[in-house]
Amino acid sequence: MADRLTETFDPISLEIYWGRLISIADEAATSLVRTAFSTIVRESNDYATVIMDRNGDSICENTGGIASFSCILPKTTKIFLDRFPLESWRPGDAVITNDPWLATGHLPDFTVVTPIFHMGLLVGFAGCISHSPDVGGSLWAADCHELFEEGIRILPAHLLRAGEWNGTLLDILLGNVRVPRQVLGDLEAQVVANDVAVRRIVEFLDDTGLPDLLALSKTLQRRSDAAMRKAIESVPDGVYSATLDADGFDEQLTRIVCTVTVSGDTMHIDYAGTSPQINRGINCVLNYTHAYSVYPIKCALDPLSPRNEGSYRAITVTAPERSILNPVFPAPVGARQLTGHLLAGVIYQALSTALPDKIIADCGGAPSMRALFSGANQDGSSFSQVLFASGGMGAGPHQDGLSTTAFPTNVGAGSIEAYESVAPLLVWKKGLRTDSGGAGRQRGGLGQEVVIELRTDASARLSLLSDRHNHPAVGILGGLPGAPSVIAFEDGTKPHPKSRSVVEPGRRITLLYAGGGGYGDPRSRDRAAVLADLADGYVSSDAAKLHYGVE
Amino acid sequence: MTSTQPTQRLARIGVDVGGTFTDLVLYDPSRQLALTGKLLTTPEDPSIAIINGIKRILSEAGLQPSDLHSVVHGTTLVTNTIIERTGAVVGLITTSGFRDTIEIGRETRYDLYDLFLEMPPVIVPRARRLEVAERVTSEGDVLVDLDEDAVARAARRLVEDSKAEALAISFLHSYRSDRHEQRAAKIVRALYPSLPLSLSSQVAPEIREFERTTTTCANAYVQPLMHRYLDKLEAELVELGFAGRLHIMLSSGGITTVREAKAFPIRLIESGPAAGAMAASFISRIAGLDRVISFDMGGTTAKICLIEDGQPDHKFDFEAGRVRRFQKGSGLPLKVSVVDMIEIGAGGGSLARVDPSSGLLKVGPRSAGSVPGPVCYGRGGDQPTVTDADLVLGRLDPAYFLGGELELDVDLVRSAFDGKISTAINLDVDEAALGVQRIVDETMAAATRMHLAEKGKDPRKYTLIAFGGAGPVHAFNLARLLKVEKMVVPLGAGVASALGFLVAPPATDMVRTMVSRLDAVDWTAINALYADMKAEGVSLLCEAGAIEEQITFKATAEMRHRGQGFEIPVALPSLVLSDEHLDAIRETFFMSYRAQFGRILEDSPIEVLNWRLACSAAGTDISIGQGHAVADATLEGARRGTRKVKFEGHGWLDCAVYNRYMLPAGCKFSGPALVEERESTCVIGPDSVVSVDSSRNLIINLWFVN
Repeated sequence: MADRLTETFDPISLEIYWGRLISIADEAATSLVRTAFSTIVRESNDYATVIMDRNGDSICENTGGIASFSCILPKTTKIFLDRFPLESWRPGDAVITNDPWLATGHLPDFTVVTPIFHMGLLVGFAGCISHSPDVGGSLWAADCHELFEEGIRILPAHLLRAGEWNGTLLDILLGNVRVPRQVLGDLEAQVVANDVAVRRIVEFLDDTGLPDLLALSKTLQRRSDAAMRKAIESVPDGVYSATLDADGFDEQLTRIVCTVTVSGDTMHIDYAGTSPQINRGINCVLNYTHAYSVYPIKCALDPLSPRNEGSYRAITVTAPERSILNPVFPAPVGARQLTGHLLAGVIYQALSTALPDKIIADCGGAPSMRALFSGANQDGSSFSQVLFASGGMGAGPHQDGLSTTAFPTNVGAGSIEAYESVAPLLVWKKGLRTDSGGAGRQRGGLGQEVVIELRTDASARLSLLSDRHNHPAVGILGGLPGAPSVIAFEDGTKPHPKSRSVVEPGRRITLLYAGGGGYGDPRSRDRAAVLADLADGYVSSDAAKLHYGVE
Repeated sequence: MTSTQPTQRLARIGVDVGGTFTDLVLYDPSRQLALTGKLLTTPEDPSIAIINGIKRILSEAGLQPSDLHSVVHGTTLVTNTIIERTGAVVGLITTSGFRDTIEIGRETRYDLYDLFLEMPPVIVPRARRLEVAERVTSEGDVLVDLDEDAVARAARRLVEDSKAEALAISFLHSYRSDRHEQRAAKIVRALYPSLPLSLSSQVAPEIREFERTTTTCANAYVQPLMHRYLDKLEAELVELGFAGRLHIMLSSGGITTVREAKAFPIRLIESGPAAGAMAASFISRIAGLDRVISFDMGGTTAKICLIEDGQPDHKFDFEAGRVRRFQKGSGLPLKVSVVDMIEIGAGGGSLARVDPSSGLLKVGPRSAGSVPGPVCYGRGGDQPTVTDADLVLGRLDPAYFLGGELELDVDLVRSAFDGKISTAINLDVDEAALGVQRIVDETMAAATRMHLAEKGKDPRKYTLIAFGGAGPVHAFNLARLLKVEKMVVPLGAGVASALGFLVAPPATDMVRTMVSRLDAVDWTAINALYADMKAEGVSLLCEAGAIEEQITFKATAEMRHRGQGFEIPVALPSLVLSDEHLDAIRETFFMSYRAQFGRILEDSPIEVLNWRLACSAAGTDISIGQGHAVADATLEGARRGTRKVKFEGHGWLDCAVYNRYMLPAGCKFSGPALVEERESTCVIGPDSVVSVDSSRNLIINLWFVN
């Protein structure tokens, strides 16, 4: 606090500069999303753009992308700086990687970083991460045994050098993917997004007369750091822990053990006791573990202040090496979100007694359940279509959980009409799932029911990434769990929840998305709220009687 | 003039019913006379203020109701009904399996960090959403026949048991085939002939069921109210002796008939704001400007809109009734044609505060509104606002606000700044006020940059047209920040937006969805779509008073590379298309794509989703200005003295103060200067020169010293 007085920036200029930098990151993000081919980028916001200073420390990030990506990107940039020293960078360079350990935890995400030069000097970096339409390998699978099955791995390398594309790298990459045109198109979108940010930062420096970004960067990071520390100080010191179980892979359940230690203005999150890494693609690298640990803390404690490198300095995260939250190369990691998305729930569970007013119950949409159908159309052309839909959010202290809304990710839902227009699939139902929200003083959000039929003469492939079949989202502070996930054909047979199956033409498959956990004792729920739920059909009369004692 | 009416009725009136004021503007072309009027809105029955206002303005003009050619009406009734959730009890009949579409929505959190988000409440609760068996495929083929008995049962249940006052019908893929919706409508109409009924295939015949169904339900939601309101207004106008046409302003900036407004009231959602954009378009035409940024800053918000070649941009979706007013994604997404403008929480009443957690100065988006209003009004406001900062900085004259009607209290403002802002950020009152001004101006500049960037446009190539009460006060700074070299401030800038009602042409927009790869389009089918839309448009516009030969048509298609999620509008060369046009269409697509994204992907297949047709009658330019000219006006005669104004980077400067009404056409002076008129003050900084054109616009040229 004391050094605020010695800052070079007054609180007015700082507000203006900060706002302008965020709008630059947003403009880059808009450009990225609009030109990307990847439906994942579009529908599940699987991207981020970040502005960094010349040390690779983040100054600001875009408003709407994946929150966790923006805290990984500066780490990757620092690795780029180790590999390519400052003096080696040229205007028009762009460096790329998709290494899970150096970047965001699985191969489909490409990180691209571009240097920003102003008056001949390297002043910072613009970076973005985007989920590629394809990286070869198994595509949408959690069942690989090694990283090498999951696709092509690009170690840090120049994608562009002084404005020239690295032809050799592109040839190797595009020669290993199913849809090279789209993969290249999305890389171009990333390069353009960075270029937009570079141009705007140069204009910003021209307009403000600042020589570089360093002083501003340090000041903004100090502000963010101070805001987070102030928020942590409000949490009573102590050691808080919780355990959460999930389906894992076949017989190998996933157990997350989380211990949160709050001491003054710092917080440490440790995962000692968590399941060991396994030989299936649900291992979650430490970068991703860290990102999905600090994000829920930011939401609960300091949701409003702008984010950058400083926001997370007060929080440390550790997980035992060779655990499922810190696997070692070449562990398979393709579906690392099936594990990483569980962390918010266990952290909130741990903090529930210390911060009952700031947290929510476990979410049915964590991890998100994804179904990919691929095969041939009647005319022989191929199709590949992901269904985006979510389970219900956990309930909070003062409101019911949002139905059909994901947390900690932000997976949107596309239109069924658009879905049916591009694939030989017919959706017979997409509706709220009665009684799926965990009972509680506040009820968990409802999941949904989707019924799909394949409408071709040939069978197709169904790839599933899902959890919560045997371990529903748990309730909190007396709340009950939500309904579990169910995926089944008409005859009751169930495809493997984390693997690939064959779907026969004309056969309908039902996907039930999990509900969110409840908050507080259901018997203390306001009677009028139960009656309203009954009227809306969110809760059946049996459940109202059983859980709420309302007839 | 579009009118070739044989009668002598020439005068026209525009009426804008806003939340606080009902604004009127009258134009009599025989005398080039333009009058404006303002009275308090009568919310319990808006027609009271309308009729009283019309009587008053007619008597001021020395005219009779029977002298009127037309009344053009804009209203916030639709948007307020949605914001305040005071619409009708609506029932929805939909495809089996899909009654929750409008509740499930897009499944996105509009704020990533807020665990306790409030979602916009659904317009039709679950109990009033009933399913019937029927199914049409994406190709428009019937897979399951409509269960007609179920339709009748559902309608009866909704009307008899649930007391629905309006019904909506929305079936899957009805944009492709409306057979089942039409059949269901027939059944419902046979049962309840006078019940308002909205069909999704008519309200918004576009792919994407959530947006289409929501729009259809919203239409039904406001329909009963609009029926009553327009019927009453028509009757009262007739009673008054009015024998002309009553037109209604659409969100797209065109005008339409009462019949059409009653069928599709949701298309009036942005009726009021559209008028401002139409006024700016008109001003750009008479000033001969082909690239314009329209900047309308009032008490609560600033609206920014691009105008090219005398026409505003349009877009085809709009978010209404946001839970968080300026947060994208927190409202109901509607498929309606609207003037493409951004609205941000930056106005004269925007509140300044120091954020306790970051220690930074923040301005807006919350506004002091009209009660208590800014501190300087002396009506109990104690939190400084943008207007208060303007007063401290000398930009406003405390003795000449609203022409002297309201005396402003500078001391009260200074002590509020001192108590609420200055000490917390360790700056004196003047610096703090300058900070408020810098932040609000920068916020508007950032939003404008973003809006232009999304279209691939560079603000430096544009002229700023500023109006609204606070617009001329802040336009100069905005122009500096955007590096705009020229700005125009029309006479009567505070009420200029009402002019939009007088210049808006009869217009309509139509759309059909047919998804296809561009190289495989069935042109026969598309040509049939266009023939249909054209016939419908012509008949509607003629009913609204247009001459068929003068109607212009603009066909566009929304296209993208296959696999992408955002479409870009591409102008089509003709309404009758064939493979011969393919190259030209592809070329236009690439041009627009490059303009927007800076690159093209030549070998990636292109697909078309929506086919649109905009039909418009000729615009009605009016001639104003001369009527106001003061004989023997001179620059010196207009001079009111000198006032000190604080400018960023310059400190306090002596500014010449001019009376706007006395400035003669053709005069020239340099900045810094202040030009005062009743409803606003135009602030002109240094390094600029001002001239007054023949329409009495202030033309301000800025130069940039680097």
